[in-house]
Amino acid sequence: MTDRDVSSGTHVPPAELTATVAILAPRGRDAAVAAQLLQEANLPVVVAETLDHLANLLADQVGAVLVTEEALSSPGTDRLTDVLDIQPPWSDIPFIVLANQGVGRRSDAAVARIDTLRNATLLSRPLHAEELVRAVTSALNARARQHDARRYVEKLELRERQLQDSEAKFHAIADAVDQMIWSTQPDGFHDYYNQRWYDFTGVPEGCTDGDAWNGMFHPDDQERAWGAWRESLKTGQPYEIEYRLKHKSGKYRWVLGRAQPMRDMSGNITRWYGSCTDIHDIKVAQEQRQLMLGEMNHRVKNTLAMVHAMVSQTLRQADTLDDARIAIQSRISMMSAAHDRLVKSTWTETQIAEVVEAALIPHRTGLGRIGVTGPNLPIGSKQALALTMALHELATNATKYGALSTDQGRIDIAWHVSQEDADAGFAFSWRESGGPEVMTPTRRGFGSRMIERALAGYFTGAAELAYNRGGLTFNLTAPLSGLTV
Amino acid sequence: MNSTAKVLPAILVVEDEPLIRMEAVDMIEDAGFRVYDAANADAALVLMELHEDIGILFTDIDMPGSMDGMELATHVRNVWPPVAIVIASGKVDFADMQVPEGSTFFPKPYPTEKIAPILEHIVDRLKISSPPLNKPHD
Repeated sequence: MTDRDVSSGTHVPPAELTATVAILAPRGRDAAVAAQLLQEANLPVVVAETLDHLANLLADQVGAVLVTEEALSSPGTDRLTDVLDIQPPWSDIPFIVLANQGVGRRSDAAVARIDTLRNATLLSRPLHAEELVRAVTSALNARARQHDARRYVEKLELRERQLQDSEAKFHAIADAVDQMIWSTQPDGFHDYYNQRWYDFTGVPEGCTDGDAWNGMFHPDDQERAWGAWRESLKTGQPYEIEYRLKHKSGKYRWVLGRAQPMRDMSGNITRWYGSCTDIHDIKVAQEQRQLMLGEMNHRVKNTLAMVHAMVSQTLRQADTLDDARIAIQSRISMMSAAHDRLVKSTWTETQIAEVVEAALIPHRTGLGRIGVTGPNLPIGSKQALALTMALHELATNATKYGALSTDQGRIDIAWHVSQEDADAGFAFSWRESGGPEVMTPTRRGFGSRMIERALAGYFTGAAELAYNRGGLTFNLTAPLSGLTV
Repeated sequence: MNSTAKVLPAILVVEDEPLIRMEAVDMIEDAGFRVYDAANADAALVLMELHEDIGILFTDIDMPGSMDGMELATHVRNVWPPVAIVIASGKVDFADMQVPEGSTFFPKPYPTEKIAPILEHIVDRLKISSPPLNKPHD
């Protein structure tokens, strides 16, 4: 049996043996006499035949040993001392040595033999029954106390192991979770942070103990966080707050801080346990969503304002309510179609050829009376919408009064780009021919006003409508930068 | 310029969206005012310098350029204190904005039927102060 086996408690000797006295008295009748005396006193006895046998009993944790002095001088005591040497720390098997009779003065060797037993008492012979029984009883009692001590130590060791296991489990969990975890004394003194805290902040362990944590907060959030924490400490109410915490990168990140008090049986706070959750990405996404909503709101409002302006202008200039109704419906449809195309492209930009084609589709007769030439160019969303509206007005006017109102008329649309002319790099023209003779209108409607006053603004250029007798012409010149501003 | 009861001050309309600017100009012209218009703050300030008859600044808030409408209004209030300021915006949280004191606010789209009476009311108030309306403040 080894030390480790005993202390781990995997090999517990049979209860009887630990309360049994082993007798080794190979010569004479001493063994038989002693056994008889002890059995009469109800003490359990086992007789060992040899030193080797005794060593086995010792290894099996016999309660006590009664041995004659002469038995110790026979060969084979080495194994006995070996077994005694490897006793666990709590164990010290008591020996009662029956002294040799008539020994005046023991040799050094004889003394040394007794000393190797460590816990040995001499008992003189001839045996005296009461002395013997008392000596053995006392030895067995002492031995029982040793076992009591062993059990007590084992219990303490087990508790310590459980505590270590539990602490290891706590650290494994506390360091594995995504959150930073911390804990404080009842007065709010921070004395624990998990590994995540140190991973996040990058500060040396222990340097945020006490009140030093507040220095890790964004200067603008420190006072607010202090206030909330002080309030929780005062009232015992759970702590919850969002603030910016300094990351090891040097940047501040938004975290959600929470803490709950732990109370004892009488309701007194024993500790505070808290966590910090990194909510920076959520927070940033929220802000972006808010920004996006703001931008959407702005665009919708702007579109509605344009519709409002168009309706208001149409109503102001219409001859009858019926005319206004038809014009408003057709203009809103056209604006809506223009938006569809913007959404299908990148919203911010589209191609001018597509814009022109789309605006003309409702007016094409299939007879090839509208000619379009020009390079494809990117054009901004506002310019696309304005150009669509202008072409819609021109084409509607042409169908009612101009080149498309007769069978012979035609329209030629052309645009070109010149890199040399910075102020008028873009030129767009609309020429009607073959239609009825053109009269300068006495009153300007929404279309002509929109073209002359608003369209140029979108392109930061100049627009001009000319009511030539042979056919209406429209010219727009703008800097190239005006196409996408 | 002499301040007689019949002469209305001119109004400077600042709005970056041309169609909406056109509508605002028409609307205010219909109310009987002379109107100047600008697409941004920089152009507006040039007009302010050129035309002493401008008595009311009518500006949008969201505008590209070196200043937005709010900054333009504050600047005009500092340089030409007598000029009345009308701010138009599609924003709903107008209450949170820092507008120059005494400014009038219009939501967008413009409440057409209310514009004329409100502008006339402002003109009545302006008459208490002495002309010329936009003489620079030292």
